[in-house]
Amino acid sequence: MGMANAVLWSRLKSPWVLHFNSGACNGCDIEVVALLTPKYDVERFGIKLEPSPRHADVLLVTGSVTQQCAERLKRIYDQMPEPKFVVAIGACACAGGVFRGNYNVLNGVDQVIPVNAYIPGCPPKPEAIIDGVVKLLNSLKPEKTAREGKKK
Amino acid sequence: MSNTAIDIVDILQTKFKDTLVQVQPAQLGKATVLANSSTHRDVLKVLLEADERTAVSAITGIDLITTIGVFYHIRTAKGGIITIKTEVPKEGPRINTISDLIPGAAFHEMEVADLLGVVFVGNPSSGRLVLPDNWPDDVFPLRKDAKLDNLKMKDAPSGETEPSGETNTVKIIVGPQHPALLEPEKFALKVEGEIVKGVEPRIGYVHRGVEKAAESRTYLQDVYLVERICGICNTCHASCFVETVEKILKTEVPPRAKYIRTILLELNRLHSHLLTLGHAGLEIGYETLFQYFWRDREPIMDITEIITGNRVISSSLTVGGVRSDINETDIPKIKTMLANLRKRLPFYKRIYADEPSLKMRMRNVGTLKRADALALCIVGPTARGSGVDIDVRKDEPYEAYGEIPFKVITRDSGDTWARMNVRMDEVEESINIIEYALDHLPTGPFRVRAPRVVPAGEAVNRVEAPRGELFYYVKSNGTAYPERVKVRTPTFANIPAFLKTAIGGNIADVPANFVSLDPCFSCTDR
Repeated sequence: MGMANAVLWSRLKSPWVLHFNSGACNGCDIEVVALLTPKYDVERFGIKLEPSPRHADVLLVTGSVTQQCAERLKRIYDQMPEPKFVVAIGACACAGGVFRGNYNVLNGVDQVIPVNAYIPGCPPKPEAIIDGVVKLLNSLKPEKTAREGKKK
Repeated sequence: MSNTAIDIVDILQTKFKDTLVQVQPAQLGKATVLANSSTHRDVLKVLLEADERTAVSAITGIDLITTIGVFYHIRTAKGGIITIKTEVPKEGPRINTISDLIPGAAFHEMEVADLLGVVFVGNPSSGRLVLPDNWPDDVFPLRKDAKLDNLKMKDAPSGETEPSGETNTVKIIVGPQHPALLEPEKFALKVEGEIVKGVEPRIGYVHRGVEKAAESRTYLQDVYLVERICGICNTCHASCFVETVEKILKTEVPPRAKYIRTILLELNRLHSHLLTLGHAGLEIGYETLFQYFWRDREPIMDITEIITGNRVISSSLTVGGVRSDINETDIPKIKTMLANLRKRLPFYKRIYADEPSLKMRMRNVGTLKRADALALCIVGPTARGSGVDIDVRKDEPYEAYGEIPFKVITRDSGDTWARMNVRMDEVEESINIIEYALDHLPTGPFRVRAPRVVPAGEAVNRVEAPRGELFYYVKSNGTAYPERVKVRTPTFANIPAFLKTAIGGNIADVPANFVSLDPCFSCTDR
């Protein structure tokens, strides 16, 4: 029990994220990078950008998923260790956005891999991305009853 | 309207008086030359002889229903664009390459081959450029009769296991997911020891088919679409597109709108340059510089938000003007923010000019000679770092640039350091331009009602995006939807510079060299 709690605690307090651009316009991507820089600085929540899929807990995907990228997106997802979570950032990643229906796009990340959280916006503001990731992390917490909350 | 342009048109007219080639001054750009698939090379030779700085801006492929048009948009020194129009039959379209006359054309030809199926006889490159590897061989998306619903894709080839076939050579695959790349592109570097012997690019991971999509949306919808070609230089795309449409409409934009557009364009350049200057720090292992630059870039995003309501994609430009005015009460606030950024500049300039570790990583890395920059048709800060003083803002002023004083920054050494220092100095010029524009903001309306129906016609336009010359060609057929929207982005023109300069260099220098071109692949692939 103690071990499981420790694992959960460390998972919630230091999610390592991997960013993958699956055919985005760079608008969402520069906002993801802005998260790591002094104004927004998500490292204060323990969030760290990780270059390798094998070390990542959360996959941040931007872009409408082009034909050429789809296979690679799937492969990156498969390389991540369990448990893994996917956040679709931006209108394109959620449903194809302005490019929906074009001949070379697959209309959203969930057409290729399962998605845990959607953050709409074109592009979403950094605050919205932080909010989305924090909501995802909170959803992992076991639901506390009122009494348990008091005990602590 | 410079004299050189008129001279070139005169030369063309006298030279081709007795042939089938027709020269029409002031059509697409400065002149349109009607050639055919055998005389287009002669016209180009005349243009190349007239001036050393003649280069290919773009090659447009267009489905003309009975034939396929191949339009060569040639950039002449200070005089703007001259378009050479040729047509090839739809069955078995073949045309002689021009890449032996000017090597920079090879990439442009590949794109037309990829999207319209025109065979360029003699082009050294082959294979897919922007379409996916498993795309069917007989479908060309930009042809009007292409059936793109329920496409049957080929089996995906496994491209990465192929042996290089040469001894002592190791192939290092960079991408499509790589820490040094923010975007998914693949570069196969052939290395011998530490030395790069060859680079095989595979772009097309971000190809979203924007040019095709633009044909099925109205002109106003297209403004939002082309803005999203690139999130970094979005205002440049919007500005170039609306100006092209305004040229077809013959709409004159009110002066206040021109100044507001200029301010937005320069804000775009500022944030893009600061982004790259920081990113270059990251690539050479100088992460503090990256964090500093990105901190000082945030006020620029805030200014964009104050003016347009959006941080990144401004969505403020429209046909006939801009969608929102600058509030007079905001101007002092904006000026204070710019003044604060200006105070930081001497520090950054000192780092880029004198910092020893930075110099060690950037001096004499990826040197691009002036002659190569000209032959490869390089644009923007990359060309200016090699001593080629091309800048559309000066060569063919648009918006309010004709009325605002500013300098074109050039450096002569042509290495990574020179390219980054060009950007560093341009940051200050951009601040000057914005401050001047805010001080001289004309009064009056900020938009005019543009006609609802776009008459049949075609136009070309150029804008100096942060990465260099951005080129648009729009053809209207009188309906609500454009018949063709061609976009040639600056990174597309600059990739040959990387392929040229990486060879012979050290593999550890590849990231620094690469980032000094400020590559943007969402632009490149469209």
